[in-house]
Amino acid sequence: MNSFFLLLVVIGLSVAGYAAGRARSVLAASGDVRILHSLPSYYGMFVALGCGLPAILLLALWLIIQPQIVEHMVMAGLDPSIMPQNADEYSLMLTDIRNLASGNAVSREASPAIMAAMERYQSLQSVGFWTMGAAVVCIALLGLVWARSQVSRSFRARNVVENIIRVLLIVCSMIAILTTVGIVLSLIFESLRFFARVPFFEFLFGIHWSPQTAIRAEQVGASGSFGAVPLFAGTMLITLIAMLVAGPIGLLSAIYMAEYANPKFRAIAKPMLEILAGIPTVVYGFFAALTVAPLIRGWGESIGLDVASESALAAGVVMGIMIIPFVSSLSDDVINSVPQSLRDGSYGLGATKSETIRHVIIPAALPGIVGAFLLAVSRAIGETMIVVMAAGLAANLTANPLEAVTTVTVQIVTLLVGDQEFDSAKTLAAFALGLVLFFVTLGLNVIALRVVRKYREKYD
Amino acid sequence: MTDAIMNSKPDTAEIRRPSPGGERLKKRYAAERRFRLYGLCSILAAGLMLVFLVGSIVGTGWSAFLQTYVKLSITFDAEYLDPAGTGDPAQLQNADYGGLMKKNLRDNFPEVTGRSDKRKLYNFVSPNAGYVLRDMVIADPALVGKTLDLWVKASDDIDMLTKGYVDRTEAEDNRRVSNAELAWYDKLDNADRVETRFNTDFFVNADSREPEEAGILGAVTGSLLTLLITLLLSFPVGVMAAIYLEEFAPKNRWTDLIEVNINNLAAVPSIVFGLLGLAMFLNFFGFPRSAPLVGGMVLALMTLPTIIIAARSALKAVPPSIREAALGLGASPLQVVTHHVLPLAMPGILTGTIIGMAQALGETAPLLMIGMIAFIVDIPGGFTDPATVLPVQIYLWADSPERAFVERTSAAIMVLLAFLIFMNFVAVLLRRKFERRW
Amino acid sequence: MLKNSLLKAIPLALAGVVAVAAAAEARDQIRIVGSSTVFPFSTSVAETFGKTSGFKTPVVESTGSGGGLKLFCSGVGVQHPDITNASRRIKASEVETCAKNGVADVIEIKIGFDGIVIGNDKGAASFDLTKKQLFLALAAEVPVDGKIVKNPYNTWSDIDSSLPNQPIEVLGPPPTSGTRDAFVELVMREGAEEFPELKAMAKSDKKGFRKISDSMREDGKFIEAGENDNLIVQKLQANPNAMGIFGFSFLDQNSDKIKGANVLGVEPTFENIASGDYSVSRSLYFYVKKAHIGVVPGIEEYLAEFTSDKAIGDEGYLTDKGLIPLPAADRAKFREAATNKTNLVM
Repeated sequence: MNSFFLLLVVIGLSVAGYAAGRARSVLAASGDVRILHSLPSYYGMFVALGCGLPAILLLALWLIIQPQIVEHMVMAGLDPSIMPQNADEYSLMLTDIRNLASGNAVSREASPAIMAAMERYQSLQSVGFWTMGAAVVCIALLGLVWARSQVSRSFRARNVVENIIRVLLIVCSMIAILTTVGIVLSLIFESLRFFARVPFFEFLFGIHWSPQTAIRAEQVGASGSFGAVPLFAGTMLITLIAMLVAGPIGLLSAIYMAEYANPKFRAIAKPMLEILAGIPTVVYGFFAALTVAPLIRGWGESIGLDVASESALAAGVVMGIMIIPFVSSLSDDVINSVPQSLRDGSYGLGATKSETIRHVIIPAALPGIVGAFLLAVSRAIGETMIVVMAAGLAANLTANPLEAVTTVTVQIVTLLVGDQEFDSAKTLAAFALGLVLFFVTLGLNVIALRVVRKYREKYD
Repeated sequence: MTDAIMNSKPDTAEIRRPSPGGERLKKRYAAERRFRLYGLCSILAAGLMLVFLVGSIVGTGWSAFLQTYVKLSITFDAEYLDPAGTGDPAQLQNADYGGLMKKNLRDNFPEVTGRSDKRKLYNFVSPNAGYVLRDMVIADPALVGKTLDLWVKASDDIDMLTKGYVDRTEAEDNRRVSNAELAWYDKLDNADRVETRFNTDFFVNADSREPEEAGILGAVTGSLLTLLITLLLSFPVGVMAAIYLEEFAPKNRWTDLIEVNINNLAAVPSIVFGLLGLAMFLNFFGFPRSAPLVGGMVLALMTLPTIIIAARSALKAVPPSIREAALGLGASPLQVVTHHVLPLAMPGILTGTIIGMAQALGETAPLLMIGMIAFIVDIPGGFTDPATVLPVQIYLWADSPERAFVERTSAAIMVLLAFLIFMNFVAVLLRRKFERRW
Repeated sequence: MLKNSLLKAIPLALAGVVAVAAAAEARDQIRIVGSSTVFPFSTSVAETFGKTSGFKTPVVESTGSGGGLKLFCSGVGVQHPDITNASRRIKASEVETCAKNGVADVIEIKIGFDGIVIGNDKGAASFDLTKKQLFLALAAEVPVDGKIVKNPYNTWSDIDSSLPNQPIEVLGPPPTSGTRDAFVELVMREGAEEFPELKAMAKSDKKGFRKISDSMREDGKFIEAGENDNLIVQKLQANPNAMGIFGFSFLDQNSDKIKGANVLGVEPTFENIASGDYSVSRSLYFYVKKAHIGVVPGIEEYLAEFTSDKAIGDEGYLTDKGLIPLPAADRAKFREAATNKTNLVM
């Protein structure tokens, strides 16, 4: 909490800086603020930023670097008799010293040498903290004084402040990139370890998925193969079924709402459809597994078809219901943005409403609709809970919607929450699957974006 | 008629006339009506599915809002509570209330003798009934030695019986409630000593292993804390990113890259965000597990693209004339945005934010990865306290063996849906109130 | 407006600092991770412990045995869990990992048994199975006339005419689950050993034998159905032809809907599993980090609560939740281990 307190001090100084800067600018203008380059508040902001920004940056940097230095110094100064021999021992001893210092649990009885190291650690820590405090406050004060000295009638405070804020805006927009980098980084290392055990091409093009490897020495796996093609095929099959449900219903609903419905109907129908997307997927999962699947099975049996109890059809249909709003909302927007002039032209030629829609509006809106469909597809591919509950785990390579299939997301969940050991190829496979999933949706999105953009240029 | 013109090629001399009696026209109008009907049918189909889904949830869940109580005569026997008669609060605190409850049950049903029957009898009321007695005695030590008629919460099996989930005509082996228990129940029922009340505990308790004690307040608090973090992080960052991309960014490869990235993140499977949270926040930064703070950060990353996209389209909808007017009056670009464009776009941005928040509220998969799938009895009081959220609570209850959790699962879903519908409703109202045509 | 945007950055920084500070702070609440099978029992004890002891109620996470042991073994200190539940015994390799990370002293407590039941809808045909029949129905490859061939059986009556003429369809746990490991060990291997040629093979070529005995069929007759046993129960109700493999507590709670098949003529009842007559059951464990006792308050008391007869005794409250108690002598042994904090011996 001490660094938190320091942060509060810096913020307090910044607030003081704001007041000082503002007062100074008013003084410089001898009360007539019109002759200043910027408004007084900008001078205040400038001084506040000049005081706070470097100090906070220093604080952050110090907090990251200090532990490394202190730990290195402590470990280097250890009694030679207990000097750790290898990296594992080193980190273990370090954790012990750190835990001892903070009154935490330790892995073994502390020897006098360790206690000495701990005391050294504590004293270094406190020296470090006080130096940091002094340095940060100094920098803050220096920044305050310097920034305040800059304030004059002609100083362009607004430009400086706006530039700093613009940098802040850019940083914010970079968070999206950082997230992507984070996702890739968090997946790639484990994936690489997986590919060290299972060849990359065997994973990507193998047609047999059965992650029953020997997960421990005394166990022998069945086929133990990691060919992910059945998973991709299963995902595609379920997605296809979902799109067959959501595509027509969603698109027709969108057309009706955009072209036929009166505002009152629309005001009720649109939010109602959006609620479908808001229902937790766990609920859909139960619905699929316990209501739809037995229903389909019963129908199948009554006409003599052999339906698996966890058929792809059940999961697909329910997933289709869930993504209806994705298709309908996005398509609705696209259809609405088709210029009225096109419609008027078509009506003027005597076409009926449905003819206008089919021959004029849909072709004009097609790229946007395709974009909406692709987004819905990537949503369907990534959906987890429905398939976990309703689709089962049987990795069949089949195009028959009445058979059971499994999907990539199902396998990720089951591989990660199971009882197996954690360094097995099985657990690692989950990360490789996650990586594949990420790149597939990335590809779909790039395509969707291209399509949508092409369309936008045409009618804006 | 118009068809004729549309279909005729310029060089053909023949002109198609409207068919006599307007048959073609009739056909076209029929097609028109059919098309319109298809549209209506799809909306109705979607609506029907919604009604069916919600209906089946309400159908199984409504009974969870009721709880059965039975009236028993309870003697606060001093022998159990305070044998020495000291009146020492510590003694009262640690007395054997479970034993007291059992003794009282035996006294209420003196006909029960066998060992296994007694065991059944002890399970007639909620295992927590003893703690209720404890709280009463601690609140009023004068109760010791007295006898009162008290309403005591029935156990989950008896509760199921009252609600009609137990079929009495089944053979004894096939039901959860034995004939002996039925007899005790009927005896109480005939004496008007059984009552169902509104289940307030469902709203004020946190999770419990006893269905009759389990409530959602812990999960709701966890959800609120998590959403608060999500909102605090994703709203400012999302709006600022949108402002940069929409108002300042030059059109080049770099901004294209950011845009593709954001659109992609909007569609990345939520479970991948869970993997990110696990690897980055828990393993790398060492944040505590199961904390709303971490859940909020993961969900913030997840909702960020939604907010950015919504905020961008809201900013885009503000007509350029406003910007030009402000610029013309000497405002700097940033002032244009902060003083004029942003306030005008705010309703749109808020709508997008609410929808993003609703998404985050219903999300389960990423939270499974960061340890929020946990049994937590204490209601979380801060951002680093262990907590769970509503959808995860639903997932946990759905996996519990006790039958009475089935209706509670549905009831929790109803609460979650109510929150979601409320949020969507606010978004719609906001959209309607501030919707502006330029 | 300008100030607003500056202020907005502050929560970000605050959140970071607060979290880093909190991570290292002391903890007054026990943290438990591990198996989803032990989860219902562990939570039950945790709740009672919280209500009666005056300590805070422990937080119990359901991570799976493997995930739990991974977290447990990742180090000493309050940022790591104190206790992990497991539906199998800790492995030598895991003990090594633990030791490497400083988790050298671990107390092992066995809490009881969990019966594994093969059940189906109450209205459907009753089964009386032998392990050999189960092996023939579920293995990927079976011996027919002395040769190992791909499993040819489609209905139960194909295997033995005494069984109902009903297609084989069994919903079972995935290979990542501890229930699956136990089922393979207790049913499939023993079933396979009833064939003399496989028994001979088990002695000469252990690996080849395991390959046959441990492989479940992958042609849709055995359906891997995930870890949600409740869902399996409901799927069985919806489909009378299906059988399911799940924990006894789910049969216990749903005895009005589903019934368990007899294995070797023994019905899966509480008494039969406890006495050992019903042979398909496995032990449940939890492991305690010794270094945390005294640092995190309440661990000793939690151990005492969990090992008391009130909890895991013959009439303890965990038996109401479906736990099958250990014999009294074993209970005494582990209670002693808990009070003396005896180290785990592999």
